[in-house]
Amino acid sequence: MIKESYLAVVARNEDMQAGWATEPCECAWASEALFFVRVLAAPEVALPASVRVQISPDGIHWVDEGTELDVPAHEAVVFTRLSHFGGWLRLAANMKEGGTRRVVCYLSLKG
Amino acid sequence: MSSPNPSTTAAELTAAIRRADPALSRFDPLNRIIYHADFGRGHCGFTATIGNYEGSLDTILADMNFLSPQLSAYQMWDTGTGGSIHGAYSLKLATRPVRGSVSAATKRLSIRSQGLVRLETYFGIKSEATEMVLTENDVRAFGVLFDIQDDSRRLLPRLRYLNAQDGESIGQWQIKTHHPQRHDIGATGKTASIGHYAPVGYTAVPGGAQQLCHNELPTKMNWHYLSVTFDLATMRFVQFRCNDRVYEQDIPAPFELAPWPNLRGLLNTIFFVETDVDKRAFLYLDSVLFSSAE
Repeated sequence: MIKESYLAVVARNEDMQAGWATEPCECAWASEALFFVRVLAAPEVALPASVRVQISPDGIHWVDEGTELDVPAHEAVVFTRLSHFGGWLRLAANMKEGGTRRVVCYLSLKG
Repeated sequence: MSSPNPSTTAAELTAAIRRADPALSRFDPLNRIIYHADFGRGHCGFTATIGNYEGSLDTILADMNFLSPQLSAYQMWDTGTGGSIHGAYSLKLATRPVRGSVSAATKRLSIRSQGLVRLETYFGIKSEATEMVLTENDVRAFGVLFDIQDDSRRLLPRLRYLNAQDGESIGQWQIKTHHPQRHDIGATGKTASIGHYAPVGYTAVPGGAQQLCHNELPTKMNWHYLSVTFDLATMRFVQFRCNDRVYEQDIPAPFELAPWPNLRGLLNTIFFVETDVDKRAFLYLDSVLFSSAE
């Protein structure tokens, strides 16, 4: 059987800010994943920004997976590779109040 | 002794082969199966559908910025994995946790021939299990629609099940009968978008009240059968069936639009779900079969 692969758009044209997270994505069928974060435009206030990967047993209760990814303050694409993530994945923002990034976020799954 | 009618024999043989296949036996397809999406095999070509844009993603209508459907294992916090009917995965449409949010997913085809088509699915609806009480009135509505254009008109014939509104259980099948608002997008004059997911413009199907089994907990979901038959020649719903109820009398006519550029022959099959509370609503599709009478 050929492998299934799927590019899920988990945030489209959204403003990352303090407290922000992507919508939960189910991924129990996949054995490997890449998160891509595409910054669409330079923010007016270029405060540092990063995202952390979170996993969950049920899509409701979340815990940090340990991976973090810096999100630049200019048009760019950044990514991180993941495995052993169970059934759910999302990204949560690490940002101070006033910081923002306009992003599209993808979860590229294969299994 | 007369010889058997060759066409009858072929139809009977086809029916017998389908009945012997566990994956097809639970469907009642018309003559030709156009696609059979069993989401235990993958996403099967269902994808996100979004509002049209031009130049910038900012031009997408705010209520049509839908995210991708997901393969779901139906993993619940209290009972673990639920899987699907025959296997491990179903296709899940998830709204955002905002009242009135909609999610939609589509498969894009073209019209092979005018005549009857039938869309069948085994589906379930539930909201996110964030409360320890049955929340059967969280999901506002779900439904199916076709996006169609022939030589003279465009239609978005839509069957919707209004499950609940403002916390009150309703359980009513509806057809969208009134024109949704058209919005020009961008500056070239080439792009427009129709806000056809707005919860307005529906007419109740006469006799179309039906209660669905919501079970007893927010994590217990039952699978239901839905079949929708549409005539691409007359552009009318001919029949629809949900579980043990069949509706074929006085189904309201869907609204029509003038033809759009570049859409002749369009035939999309689309599923959608709406939330009535600030909580995610989910439509799970175990499998979908689309057939034609051709």
